[in-house]
Amino acid sequence: MKRILKAAVAAVGFASLATSALAEWTPPGPIKLMIAFAAGGGADTQARLVAEDLEAKFGWKFIPEQVTGKGGMNMAMAMKDMPADGTVIGMGASETLGYNMRVANAGVAPSDFTAIATTASFQMGVVSATAKGWKTWDDLKAAAEAGETIRFGVMSPKLADLAYLLGKAQGIDLNIVQVRGGKDVLNGVMAGDMDVGFMAGIQAKGVASGDLVELASGLSKPLKHAPDAPTLADLGVDFNADGYFTFFGPGGMPAEARDAIAAAIAEVVTTDGMKSNGMVTKAFGAPDVVTGATLQTLVEAEYEAAGKLLEAASE
Amino acid sequence: MGVGDYIWMGILAVFQGPEAFSLFGIAVSITIVMVLAGFLLGIMVGATPGLAGPMAMAIALPILISAFGFSPDALLPVMGFLIGVMKGATVGGAVPAILFNTPGTPDAYMTTLDGHPMTRAGQAKKALKLAHVSSASGDTFSDIVLILCAPFLAVLVERYLDLPEKAALLILSLGFIASVIGNSVGKGLISMGLGLLAVYIGTGEDFYPRLSLGTQTLAQGFPVATAVLGVLILGEVFKSLEDLWYDARANKPVTEPAQSGDQRLHWADIRRIAPYIARSAVIGTAIGALPGIGSTLAATLGYASGARRHAKRRPDAVQFGKGAPEGIAATEAANSSVSGANLIPVLSLGIPGNAAAVFLILATESIGGFNPGPGVFRFTTESVNPELVAAFGLFTTMMLANAFNWTIGGVFMRVAGVMVRAPKHILLPIVLMLTLTAIYVQEARMSAIWFAIGFGILGYLMRRVGMSPLPFVIAFILGGKLEDTARQAFAATGSDPWFLFTSPVAALFMALAVGFVALSLRRHRKGPQ
Amino acid sequence: MKPARANLYLSLGCVGFALLLAFVWAPMDSGTGLIHKVRRQVSIGDALAPTLAAIMIGAGGVMVFLERRAPDQPGLTRGNLVFLLRFLAIMAVGFALMRWSGPMLVAVLNGDQDYRALRDTAPWKYIGFFIGGTGIIVTLIASTEGRLSLRAVMIAIAATLALIALYDLPFDDLLLPPNGDV
Repeated sequence: MKRILKAAVAAVGFASLATSALAEWTPPGPIKLMIAFAAGGGADTQARLVAEDLEAKFGWKFIPEQVTGKGGMNMAMAMKDMPADGTVIGMGASETLGYNMRVANAGVAPSDFTAIATTASFQMGVVSATAKGWKTWDDLKAAAEAGETIRFGVMSPKLADLAYLLGKAQGIDLNIVQVRGGKDVLNGVMAGDMDVGFMAGIQAKGVASGDLVELASGLSKPLKHAPDAPTLADLGVDFNADGYFTFFGPGGMPAEARDAIAAAIAEVVTTDGMKSNGMVTKAFGAPDVVTGATLQTLVEAEYEAAGKLLEAASE
Repeated sequence: MGVGDYIWMGILAVFQGPEAFSLFGIAVSITIVMVLAGFLLGIMVGATPGLAGPMAMAIALPILISAFGFSPDALLPVMGFLIGVMKGATVGGAVPAILFNTPGTPDAYMTTLDGHPMTRAGQAKKALKLAHVSSASGDTFSDIVLILCAPFLAVLVERYLDLPEKAALLILSLGFIASVIGNSVGKGLISMGLGLLAVYIGTGEDFYPRLSLGTQTLAQGFPVATAVLGVLILGEVFKSLEDLWYDARANKPVTEPAQSGDQRLHWADIRRIAPYIARSAVIGTAIGALPGIGSTLAATLGYASGARRHAKRRPDAVQFGKGAPEGIAATEAANSSVSGANLIPVLSLGIPGNAAAVFLILATESIGGFNPGPGVFRFTTESVNPELVAAFGLFTTMMLANAFNWTIGGVFMRVAGVMVRAPKHILLPIVLMLTLTAIYVQEARMSAIWFAIGFGILGYLMRRVGMSPLPFVIAFILGGKLEDTARQAFAATGSDPWFLFTSPVAALFMALAVGFVALSLRRHRKGPQ
Repeated sequence: MKPARANLYLSLGCVGFALLLAFVWAPMDSGTGLIHKVRRQVSIGDALAPTLAAIMIGAGGVMVFLERRAPDQPGLTRGNLVFLLRFLAIMAVGFALMRWSGPMLVAVLNGDQDYRALRDTAPWKYIGFFIGGTGIIVTLIASTEGRLSLRAVMIAIAATLALIALYDLPFDDLLLPPNGDV
């Protein structure tokens, strides 16, 4: 009897399509939420708050679990063969399914995963400490041309490629120093171990207090807090560090499950007063939600484009 | 933001933190409650033979993190609890040593030499009081040195050390630890090399998880908890279990001699033992500040130096080893003054020196937001450096634990005497299950349990062949940082292959590292002859 | 085993393992070599750190060889190995029970639902941990006492229940073994 009832519910959900999927689909058990970021950091907090909001709002049950390392690839590989019924999802960056998956060459592609929803886009800036004395990108360039060695901190191979192309486009030498995460770039820049570095949003507090200054935008568009800083395109780089915090699941997840989870995430991160909304707004200016098939196309395009960036950076 | 502001904010962070309950209208912060709870638990654990402070810290950690979460608010209550356990276990270790001639913790062994004779002479209570006063004095002294030294050292490091020097400093610490721990440099180096190997599995900069043999199980590497708990705690549990299996006298009854006479601690007693306490506190603090040497050596040195002085100055009094109050004082002050000073390298350099410090680092890593190391003591003027506030908060919790120690520590020490009766062969299987469950709830996969058991067997074998497991654990904790720093220093210097030797400071560190290993090698080769 | 002999085996084992690690495992199982060139910059490769670990293990092995005749050198006995094997067997059986008894009971008693969906639902989620945990504790106590006593069983049951109360009841997000694996 139970089974028949369930099948009926599923059929109804299927028939009424994505718009009402939210009302019809419920997870068949607790949902394992894998988090590709280190515990306690901003991204981890964000993922846990989203889960908390979803539990409060929809009565679903989440069990968060850290699977860190290798730019989200550890999580992707661990998740790959888990049940694709909506009871396993993970949070990483769009870069995980794009550049990282391409470079890792681990026998998987974004089509082996189901992209679900993004929550926020990176505020990727080229940031230095105010104490360094640089106010604009041109100050840094002048210092480099005067013979100063510039140490450039990055937290992923993709950003290292971008930093390399940036130096090449500007005709200056950069010693690119790769560290484990945004927090380490921030610490390195503050301690003077690095002169400048990419930061994806963690700089917000320091920029506001005047300890840090954003010299350039790593994105295709200007930064929210430093609208006058040049973008990478302005500086002669054809690539950018646009990216999102992205929820995805194992490949072949039914569309009803994917759309229901996506709609639920979209609802909590964009609703005023929800915890995740508050956090995202504070750190990244505003939520930025892309869901379902659109997102799948977007990450698959980044996966394809990664080849060009790799090629450019290895010249 | 001046230094004074930071200190004040740190104190307020402890006393005005999230409220646990209110007493007569005064809010009592959760941090205070946790420090007290940790301290009492620590005394109980220290007083139980077969259990040790680090064990309790390890088992409590996942519970604490689940209870308090990963927020910055979690840091002080969790760390306060762990610091409380650490300090409680230090005092508690003297209880079974004095009452039953079985040290509760390894560094209380010297306490048995004079403590138990006093018990047999009917002076148990007085011996406990002596141990308490000595231990609390040594501990407090050591904390004061920590609070005065760590910020200075950290600021120096941050100002004068660049990436290459930091890499060289890590190599120096590892070299030093490998050569001072245990009786054999060779075994120390093997232990350390295995620790490095373990932490390098599954990690690395390339997307391919190195040394994973192509398996998904090894690709994520070994979780810190499995390696540290496995080698340090399960290894010890396995060894004790085996000893019990082969030891028919596992359940020998414990007898207590009758107690009589004046059990009070008089002012004259304190005046008599004060010089021994002072001397041992300095010895213990100096040893504690060097990573890896540990409280057992401090206790031995404190005891030996006290014994020499005693024999010379007061040849007609009760001598060390026969039930001299001075002997208890010299030992307890020395081993207790190690714990505070041990946090000097932790807070100023991020380098742990003993098992308790390892678990404090583990806790900060799990919670996030506080990275022990020179970056903590960045005295920013414009904005608030939350890590610095937390550091002064930690100092406050240590002083708070000392205050508990002075006021109620003595009473609870006497109460904890009952723990000695807990039968080890029942306790150990439960501790084993407790540890494995603690690991599972953090990692949520069965492979973590098997990793832990595997590391436990490694720790067991190390103990059986006379190899100290501590270099393994410290290498495991520092190995990732060492590789990262070296990579970064290499990249930052524009791929200079001699980056470890081009600056005078880095070169000095490297020379010292080689020097320590060479020296202790000579010492050991000469030793047997 | 004579101490010098024990140290000899230890040192030979370490040197052999170090050679294997440095010349076979590290170079063949790392993504990049000792050093490699990316973006026209020479970088430290992934094989370098394990190779240094191998050098340390090998050097330690050589030193142990040199000082193998030092006094007070403990070694392994046959008894130690017997203990380890017995212990591992207990663990293997105990954790197998912990892993599979829950799913099996659910399959028998509650045919149309699978254990996965029930892994966070009482009482199902406690079955494996309770059976496996109690089993391990009882067996370990009984093997030291040399007999199976009712007291040991009661203690094991109480301890396992206490563990459940400690790790599961207060916390929503923690999973007892084996519920993270199913």
